[in-house]
Amino acid sequence: MSRRFSLTLVVALMAGFIALSYEILWYRAFSFVSWGRPTVFGLLLGCYLLGVALGSSGSRRFCREDDGDERGRERSLRALAAFVFLSDVAGFLVIPILARLAQYTWFPAFGVVAISAGLLGAVLPLVAHFGIPADDRAGQRLSYVYLANILGSAAGSFLTGFVLMDVWSTQTISAFLGAAGLVMVALLFLASRPSPRAAALGLGTVVVAGVASVFASPVLFEHLYERLLYKELYQPEMTLADVVENRHGVIAVNHYQQVYGGGAYDGAFNVSLVDDKNFIERAFAVSAIHPSPKNVLMVGLSSGSWAQVVAHLPGVEHLTVVEINPGYLELIAKHPHVASLLKNPKVDIVIDDGRRWLLRHPERKFDFIVMNTTYHFRAHATNLLSAEFMEVARSHLLPGGIHYFNTTSSDDVQRTAATLFPHAMRIVNFMAVSDSPLVFDHARWEQTLREVSIDGVPALDLNAPHQRNVLTRLLAMGHSIEQHAYDKYGLEGRDDLLARTAGARMVTDDNMLCEWEDLLKFPKGADL
Amino acid sequence: MRILSTLFFISGFAALVYQVVWQRTLFAIYGINIESVTVVVTAFMLGLGLGSLAGGAVSKDPRRPVVLLFAAVEATIGLFGAVSLPLFRGVGQATLALSPAAVAFVTFLLILAPTMLMGSTLPLLVAHFTRLSKNVGRSVGLLYFINTLGSALASVVSVVVLLPRLGQGHAVHVAALLNLAAAATAFVLHQRQKGASGETSSSSSSSSSSSSSSSNAAELAR
Repeated sequence: MSRRFSLTLVVALMAGFIALSYEILWYRAFSFVSWGRPTVFGLLLGCYLLGVALGSSGSRRFCREDDGDERGRERSLRALAAFVFLSDVAGFLVIPILARLAQYTWFPAFGVVAISAGLLGAVLPLVAHFGIPADDRAGQRLSYVYLANILGSAAGSFLTGFVLMDVWSTQTISAFLGAAGLVMVALLFLASRPSPRAAALGLGTVVVAGVASVFASPVLFEHLYERLLYKELYQPEMTLADVVENRHGVIAVNHYQQVYGGGAYDGAFNVSLVDDKNFIERAFAVSAIHPSPKNVLMVGLSSGSWAQVVAHLPGVEHLTVVEINPGYLELIAKHPHVASLLKNPKVDIVIDDGRRWLLRHPERKFDFIVMNTTYHFRAHATNLLSAEFMEVARSHLLPGGIHYFNTTSSDDVQRTAATLFPHAMRIVNFMAVSDSPLVFDHARWEQTLREVSIDGVPALDLNAPHQRNVLTRLLAMGHSIEQHAYDKYGLEGRDDLLARTAGARMVTDDNMLCEWEDLLKFPKGADL
Repeated sequence: MRILSTLFFISGFAALVYQVVWQRTLFAIYGINIESVTVVVTAFMLGLGLGSLAGGAVSKDPRRPVVLLFAAVEATIGLFGAVSLPLFRGVGQATLALSPAAVAFVTFLLILAPTMLMGSTLPLLVAHFTRLSKNVGRSVGLLYFINTLGSALASVVSVVVLLPRLGQGHAVHVAALLNLAAAATAFVLHQRQKGASGETSSSSSSSSSSSSSSSNAAELAR
């Protein structure tokens, strides 16, 4: 293999690695800013590929038939070095630009992706032109270059997506990719045999760019997740209390103890019925609808507040929690209201995909399955809200068992649940469904509210007048089912719900209906 | 060449529809945890890479009928695509209890054949175009542009139109139909080229063939 072709393969490999690594980082940032709307994946990929397509097309201008001689090859290499340099700078700047645009409207950031990807996309044709003679073996040699590019991409998927994201922040990974790009630029430039003066100038530019990125990086990435989260509301003093970045995603916590998983509200660190910022009474309601939920499964842990309450409810002997992101455990350990959950002998926490865990453990049966599911319009929410999943949950219920989950007020999801199960009840925005009759037991509800305590602290201190008012309000909520009138914060029986949602459709794995609601509407900071 | 370029655009469009839908299907079966996502994405990449190698190996013999091979590849992708979702779901159900490594291997095998076929088309057509234009960079640039443009359009159309309106099953059926239509057109193109080259050789007129190549090269240069 010639030296030229070896260099071609190395460049194709590194370009693939850097391009895919950036794509992973960009997707993380775009997903965070959009609350993980499913359309963002397609739009980002579309802009990325459009950029790659235009870049590869534009690069043809730099491919001349007389590039076959030594001078032509050197010219090709310098053009390649210039493209790699520009693509490196552009790739590095995408996320900081997105973060700043988020304060106004972040949609134009897709254009920035296309520009950056365009520069990245020019690299493959240019390097192929440099390294492959135009003969009958061009197709075969191109296949090696393409393979090297794809292997680099696969390495990016694995190394960046699986390893680096677990140990480094987005800022650090961006700096690493920027540095890798600059090394490639230097290699290409030196390989083009520049004159001593040109070499000094070119390498000087690379070094200056490297030093500038080291100093600029903290400024460019400052308050990254604050900007992406608060968007138009962002002010420099609005800092997050905690941010966990790992390969499973990004979790942010604000100073009001609210949790944002992947940019979307995901609960709050609160088990109090009095300072109730997360409608935690829905967790206490487990006792009202099941007489003896001995063995409980919870899919999704988030702040741990729900698990903490359920673990303290009367009759609960064992709670299994399946959570996909171990980052929540780090956060729970830091918050005193919920930290004891991690040491509670009744509680087992498994790190896995909830649906997959259920499918892989058909022998596990429960009295109660509870899921404080994320917004129904986020990507992959279908996996926990579809008719197929409800059947999976049903197969894990013991006789008299109840499946209880957050529909985030989706009529489609509520109708799907009420259609599949003969017994159903809406509790605020949750659905409780079962193959056995469902009753909201007012006596148990009152007893639970009066007697349950969390880590020795009563859920309600009935000596305090305003806490007695809370009790009165919650007891009234239990009776709202009898009014047969829609109350968003109350209860609703199956027949009323089916009549109200007559225009809604069944959510299936195939149609993913709930995710496509207002598919091009993206959240603002004010929606938090 | 314009027809072949259009077919390659359609091929890129269909490939991306499959990628979007298959990923969703596989994530529903194997989970959306990062391990599953990495396995699925890497499997896609490796399949494309191995397909590229295979396509490159096949392309080096100039006597091989590249357009006919392209037609066969598109037809096979389309046929696989048409049955892909029931196949994935069936295999997924059957293999759920396996170890993570075994599941990764099964996932890889599931998408190896179609992604290899997808990956093989670029080197096949690059070889064909380069023989006409004598310029690798322009051939790669043009074909990569066309194919990727099709994929870019498919990315957006998939999430804005196909999946929201048709669902996963019908979205892959649309992609399969596009593959089969591309295959049929490429087959007709091959038959025509075969007929034309037969006529050319029978009349011993090399000038028309060389002028045709020149015009193709000029078209590429544009």
